Amino acid sequence: MATPEVLAEKRELAGINADYKEKFGFNDPETGYAYKAPKGLSREVVETISEFKDEPQWMRDFRLKALEHFEQRPTPNWGGDLDQIDFEDIHYFVRASETNSRDWSEVPEDIKYTFDRLGIPEAERKFLAGVGAQYESEVVYHQVNEKLEAQGVIFTDMDSALREHEDLVREYWATVIPPNDNKLAALNSAVWSGGSFVYVPAGVTVEMPLQAYFRINTENMGQFERTLIIAEEGADVHYIEGCTAPVYSTDSLHSAVVEIICKPSSRVRYTTVQNWSQNVYNLVTKRAIAQEKATMEWVDCNLGSKLTMKYPSIYLLGREAHGEILSIAFAGDGQHQDAGGKIIHGAPKTSSSIFSKSISKDGGRATYRGLLEVANGASESRSKVVCDALLLDEDSRSDTYPTIRIDENDADVGHEATVSKIGDEQLFYLQAHGLDEEEASKMIVNGFIEPVTKELPMEYAVELNRLIELQMEGSIG
Amino acid sequence: MTNLATEPAWLEERRQRGASLTESLPLPDHKSKGWEFTDLARLDLGAYATVSAAPVVRGAEGATVVSLAEAVATHSELLHQKLGSLVPIEDPFVARNEAEWQDGVLVLVPRGVRLTEPVRIEVPLEADGGALSWRTLVVLEEGAEAEVWEHWSSPSDEVDGVLNSVVELSVGDGATLRYVNTQDVSEKAWIFATQRAQVERDARLDWAALGFGSGNGKVRMETKLAGQGSEARVTGGYAGGPGQHLDYDTTQEHAAPNTNSDLAFRGVLAARSTAVWRGMIKVDPGAQQTDAFQESRNLLLSTDAHADAIPGLEILADDVRCTHAAAIAQVDRDQLFYLTARGLDQAVAKRLIIEGFLESLVERLAEGPVRDEVSAALERRLAEIL
Repeated sequence: MATPEVLAEKRELAGINADYKEKFGFNDPETGYAYKAPKGLSREVVETISEFKDEPQWMRDFRLKALEHFEQRPTPNWGGDLDQIDFEDIHYFVRASETNSRDWSEVPEDIKYTFDRLGIPEAERKFLAGVGAQYESEVVYHQVNEKLEAQGVIFTDMDSALREHEDLVREYWATVIPPNDNKLAALNSAVWSGGSFVYVPAGVTVEMPLQAYFRINTENMGQFERTLIIAEEGADVHYIEGCTAPVYSTDSLHSAVVEIICKPSSRVRYTTVQNWSQNVYNLVTKRAIAQEKATMEWVDCNLGSKLTMKYPSIYLLGREAHGEILSIAFAGDGQHQDAGGKIIHGAPKTSSSIFSKSISKDGGRATYRGLLEVANGASESRSKVVCDALLLDEDSRSDTYPTIRIDENDADVGHEATVSKIGDEQLFYLQAHGLDEEEASKMIVNGFIEPVTKELPMEYAVELNRLIELQMEGSIG
Repeated sequence: MTNLATEPAWLEERRQRGASLTESLPLPDHKSKGWEFTDLARLDLGAYATVSAAPVVRGAEGATVVSLAEAVATHSELLHQKLGSLVPIEDPFVARNEAEWQDGVLVLVPRGVRLTEPVRIEVPLEADGGALSWRTLVVLEEGAEAEVWEHWSSPSDEVDGVLNSVVELSVGDGATLRYVNTQDVSEKAWIFATQRAQVERDARLDWAALGFGSGNGKVRMETKLAGQGSEARVTGGYAGGPGQHLDYDTTQEHAAPNTNSDLAFRGVLAARSTAVWRGMIKVDPGAQQTDAFQESRNLLLSTDAHADAIPGLEILADDVRCTHAAAIAQVDRDQLFYLTARGLDQAVAKRLIIEGFLESLVERLAEGPVRDEVSAALERRLAEIL
């Protein structure tokens, strides 16, 4: 049976992200901030942010209008518990550094140290075509492969994009997610800062992924990045984001808006590995439109946060457009992952699939919430939704809330979901082959999520497997 | 109206409570949970006068089958204990039923008694402008076995009325109940049916429902597996024609260990008909060794038919196997091609495919008169809407 050493090890590894605190949980001293807005939200705070960034009048007006929407809209009363969020107790804007660097050596020492610890420059050298790192409200480092720049690819932070490519930004800004879409999208629209702007010209394929890394450092901080990706006709790009935050006793809020426009025959894949600390409310609106023959793919992995409410959406607006959502959620002690996806078929011969895998453990709650809609006229559309959930103990909870709306008779739509625990037969089989129960369980869980991990770039797949293995340690018996 | 003078105090109190909740509970709107896809904006419940029905009831040897009004006198204690014990007042429809019911049936099958023939209950919704509050209470004592067939209908599709039914099925330890409900009320009528079964230890429920009539409303079918080793099989079929909106809301709640539920619904929707099916599997904490299955399939026969499927799982135990599936499709072109290539005309081929689609529902029922009648009813209905 368990020796004291084993027990100690189990204790150490038992929690979700057991090494989170040492790995990502540090916080940098706050002395060096260039500007930190007082807590709370008002017209003045919004105006100050806009002024600070020296924005054009239209953006300032957009922000103020969005603030009105935010104030008018009720807080959602479905999904997770949002009652504890005090919107007046949040810093809406913190500027960590005066400049946005293109050379790693120019990044201020303390911030560089942070990202060094997170392995950003290393990752960039290894396999990225471009990388942006956002620290608090703004992007502190941005680099894009020279060859891509020569091809006209724009990959920059949103604030710079607004200055340098104003017409392009204005043309597409908030065209996919209007500021009154929902309360949190309205909040983001009012106080947004940072995020990525990606423009891939017609016919250009970005071979390696572009990456953005988001980091919250300050307690009671709100991060509201805004990302806009435009793939022109025939373009192809993969964008990856990762996120972490230090472990504080009070909660932080992350509320991003991500809009993606896939022009005809283009392909965009957007991958998220969300690993916020367990005091972050992660309330994100992500939506893409796919035009004729375009392909949009969301790969959404949610491991961290206290509460995540995120349902990446795809509007299939052109004939033969295709959408895919792959979703992994891991809910441990004190966590609620309310994730899923939405696909709306708005044109003939469109196709889509949603694959969701969730694991609940130690009293965690994983919820799949989805919508699949086939609008009238989207004839010959096909869709398949498959949700599988694993429950690792009797304290945990799994919910599945798919909604299917069909307005077109010439459509073929299927949904399947299963919830189960690790099968005794599987365990028995592996144990009979010499694995102990814990190893066998890990192997089964890895096999369970494999359909998603195999879609990730190697480095991310390895990281995700490692995180999930850590979370599995000590979960048996 | 209600004859308070001769009713026991407990019933009088309940009617009063129902009346006051009828006043205070608002009609659900599209923002009310579960009512997102069923629009009651055109419903003026107060405009329908309370009416009485002339049900035709045929009992079976060994069972007590009496009107509820009679049972109030003869089985007061049982009614006090059971009536309303499964269906609480959660909406204004149940509240109004509690306040106003005059008509209803009690089916009581004593301990160990096995009926050899079905109990039949026929409830007509006849009066134009009338609201009928109907109640069925079926109580099977330990080890009893029974089959109950209930049929709700109207003399024509021109009757504009409200059928407001509350059905409670109490299946005692080790008992077996087969309950078949066929609904074919006027296509101009509203239907609000709240039906709940509670299945006790090692008991078994086989519940089949057909929905052909009504213009709008909501039919709830809720099963609670309350005792260890209990089982429920729920089978639903509906077929909608022009202008009809059918709403089925099903729950399979597993409240005890080692329980099994299996639900299958199939719907056929012709021109301008819409349907919403919402199904929830709930597994309560501690309800280990649960096996739950849920499936909903819709066949859309027209471009202006519309279907929503909202399956749901809420699982709070870990040693479970829960599966649900939902599908919405049209008549398969390959099958159609295959059949027409063999000389069948288009309409006949289509009909055969639809019948095949519904056949798998019929096959879930045990062979015998019930299955034959369900099969014949489906066939008649298809002839109406195709």
